[in-house]
Amino acid sequence: MKSKSFLLFFLTSLFLIPFQAKSQDLDSLLAKSAEPQTVYATATFKSTRVVNGHSIERMKKNQLEFRVSHRFGELNTGSYNFWGLDQGTIHLALEYGLTDWLEVGIGRSTYEKTVDGFGKISLLRQSSGVSNMPIQLSYLLSTEYIGSKLNSNYTNGYSRSSYIQQILIARKFNDNLSIQLAPTYIHRNLVPTELDKNDLFSMGLGGRLKLSKRISLNIEYFYVYRANESALNSPNSGTTKYYNPLSIGVDIETGGHVFQIMLTNALAMREGGFIGKTTGSWSNAGVHLGFNISRVFSFTK
Amino acid sequence: MKKLCLLTVFGFFAFTLAAQNVYLTKDAKINFNSSTPIEDIIAESNQATAVIDIEKNGVQFSVLTTSFKFRRALMEEHFNENYIESPKFPKATFKGKITSSMDWKSDKTTTVDVKGDLTMHGVTKEFTFQAQITPAKEKIAASATLKITPEQFNIAIPSAVREKIAKEVTLKIDASFVPYH
Repeated sequence: MKSKSFLLFFLTSLFLIPFQAKSQDLDSLLAKSAEPQTVYATATFKSTRVVNGHSIERMKKNQLEFRVSHRFGELNTGSYNFWGLDQGTIHLALEYGLTDWLEVGIGRSTYEKTVDGFGKISLLRQSSGVSNMPIQLSYLLSTEYIGSKLNSNYTNGYSRSSYIQQILIARKFNDNLSIQLAPTYIHRNLVPTELDKNDLFSMGLGGRLKLSKRISLNIEYFYVYRANESALNSPNSGTTKYYNPLSIGVDIETGGHVFQIMLTNALAMREGGFIGKTTGSWSNAGVHLGFNISRVFSFTK
Repeated sequence: MKKLCLLTVFGFFAFTLAAQNVYLTKDAKINFNSSTPIEDIIAESNQATAVIDIEKNGVQFSVLTTSFKFRRALMEEHFNENYIESPKFPKATFKGKITSSMDWKSDKTTTVDVKGDLTMHGVTKEFTFQAQITPAKEKIAASATLKITPEQFNIAIPSAVREKIAKEVTLKIDASFVPYH
């Protein structure tokens, strides 16, 4: 009898095991069936520019962005110049996502009648989950061509050209805060004076702080490594004094548009200009009010 | 005693079979439409996970909100960042029951009533809607249409784009379940 009841117990348990395994509630079954995912960070920045400089963001595949950038004159030009609002410098650009990881763009600016073109490649994406990557990394290659005939030193196409390489390293720390580093190398085939260097190195620092769902505060600074600083700064050097560009802006997002309103001491809206040739200074209100407007068109069917 | 033993064995054997009446899918389609004459807002996910228990008439869905694909990349970004807030609420789930009678042995399409809780954006709301179920031997096909409003789930839509987004959002669910082993 004892052995029989043991057998009964044994048999019962044998069938209880598969029974328990299969009759688990739908909740846990659903949870178990969900494939493990990799979550990519999105919207590290709201726009393809932090303020003046590129952000890690690109247009996705088959998306075309039309950008209009505008900078007024310097605030310190007083009431005669309506604190800068009488003047305007614009930059028009078309930028297109060939794939999700490659963006190309062309642009034209009234600043030195510059034409520019660039390609931006995404090399690393920030992700968590199955695959973990703490940062995003992109590489920017850009070229600028000065069309202005005011400077007679520019004798040929070679002398008018400059090339920009930039590595963009960004991290979205949380929903509200993103930080980006942008080491930049600019080669200019011709510079205004002997004191200016053909090769210019710069380190950019940009950040975005979300103020509300659709508004964020953006700050951007480029430190430019220049030699002969003392020579450049001496009043008799005859050269223009250049400053490091500092820009503070607000991104406002409305559907397919992003408005960026900013204060910046840079007048140019491309790397060769705002990193290489910023002449305004925050200390004497040599600051421009400006805005960027972006409209995105989709060509995905 | 022997009889009792056998009875117990068969009893559990039968139970084990009954517990197999769970059907599962990992690639259910959920289509989302809030188009207006001004703007087409259509998205689809084909990565929803769903289970049906044909013994208890229970049904559950779960979908990662980031798996919805839009035609416009910017729309997808706005959907995840501003509306559904995927980083905070990564999943949308439904837990419910078929409340009307359902003959799982018939292979005809039957319209049934489904009642349950839909959770998204951190809000749970009870819904009753109709679903079409077509059982087959190794496959159960099911589809349903459900209308929701962003307001029900505390999703605020700014006045600037209010006219571009439909007041009612239509969710279409298409799933083909296979037995879960």
